[in-house]
Amino acid sequence: MSENKLHNEQKLLDLLEKKFILKESKIRREKRVEVKVEPKEIIPVLLYAKDNSGYTAFTHMSCVDWIEDGEFEVVYILWHPEEKINFFVKTRVPRDNGTLPNIDFIWRQANTYEREIREMFGIQFEGLIGREEFILEDWEHMPPMRRDFDTAKFVEKTYFYRPGREDAKDVREYVQERTDEELPDFAKKYSRD
Amino acid sequence: MYNDKESQKIVDIIQNYARKHSLFVLAYGTGCGAIEIPPTMTSRYDAERFGIRGAATPRQADVLLITGYLATKSLKRVIKVYEQMQDPKYVIGFGSCTINGGMYWDSYNTINVLDKYLPVDVYINGCMPRPEAVIAGFVKLQKQIQAGKADGWDKYKKNLDYYKENQKKVITNWVMPDFNW
Repeated sequence: MSENKLHNEQKLLDLLEKKFILKESKIRREKRVEVKVEPKEIIPVLLYAKDNSGYTAFTHMSCVDWIEDGEFEVVYILWHPEEKINFFVKTRVPRDNGTLPNIDFIWRQANTYEREIREMFGIQFEGLIGREEFILEDWEHMPPMRRDFDTAKFVEKTYFYRPGREDAKDVREYVQERTDEELPDFAKKYSRD
Repeated sequence: MYNDKESQKIVDIIQNYARKHSLFVLAYGTGCGAIEIPPTMTSRYDAERFGIRGAATPRQADVLLITGYLATKSLKRVIKVYEQMQDPKYVIGFGSCTINGGMYWDSYNTINVLDKYLPVDVYINGCMPRPEAVIAGFVKLQKQIQAGKADGWDKYKKNLDYYKENQKKVITNWVMPDFNW
């Protein structure tokens, strides 16, 4: 891979590094740029990418639960239609009472993603319009996509079990059995037994 | 004069014969199985040979297909739909998700065993069942109807308390009447 090939990716990083304080920035590979920023830098970085750099398409917004660090990582994924580059903006908020700025005035479709993340993880977005209840109906437990929500226990308590499914168990244990792979400690900690 | 029991038998045979050859399936799909219905209905497999065809509203339908996983959110709608259908009515559980949860056995919002919530007459297993399997399931239902054994709707009426108890265990915020006529 020549230097010339990553020209567009490098151009974006150079511009961003001049303007903003980035916690981390790298070109992961061709057509894929990643930066990590503080929550308060989210709106300026996204606005700059949209208005000045041509990252006009908001592709996706997702959330990762880093329970070991006590943080949620929210990922904003942008797309440059001409240069065909994916731009990932990552930010981290604490798991308890995490709050992020609302970005649905930049892209209206972000509203849907934000409502889903609010329901599934419990992150609050400042000034987000829309009912608290989105996809789940009458949910009164912990947000279900959090990793400390014990799905197996919940299912056992709520639904019926038909015998004959004794093979159904944690995938990680199954992989360990078959390949003699050591489970990492954090996986053991949140394992089902 | 005629013996009442004997004549009732003959009436039943004619009635069941008519019923089994005009199964109107409610156009209602839950989960991914509904995608197998268009090929079953259209020219290649042509389910109308067996008298199986679609119905637009619950009150015109005889058969309720539960096609795949059933979220607790749609269980509420399914119960409403099922109770609005006219007797006799039949339920077909479609795919392994309705039998034992299938690949969604540990999901937080899908039910695992359908016959605890609704009376199921025929189960079709597979993930997904192909149109041949769907038609085989329907033929089995037709045989049951002819023999007078497809009486899930009768069971539901007689054991309403049992079904309601199970349904209310899952649907925490019950905002509809206890029976939707």
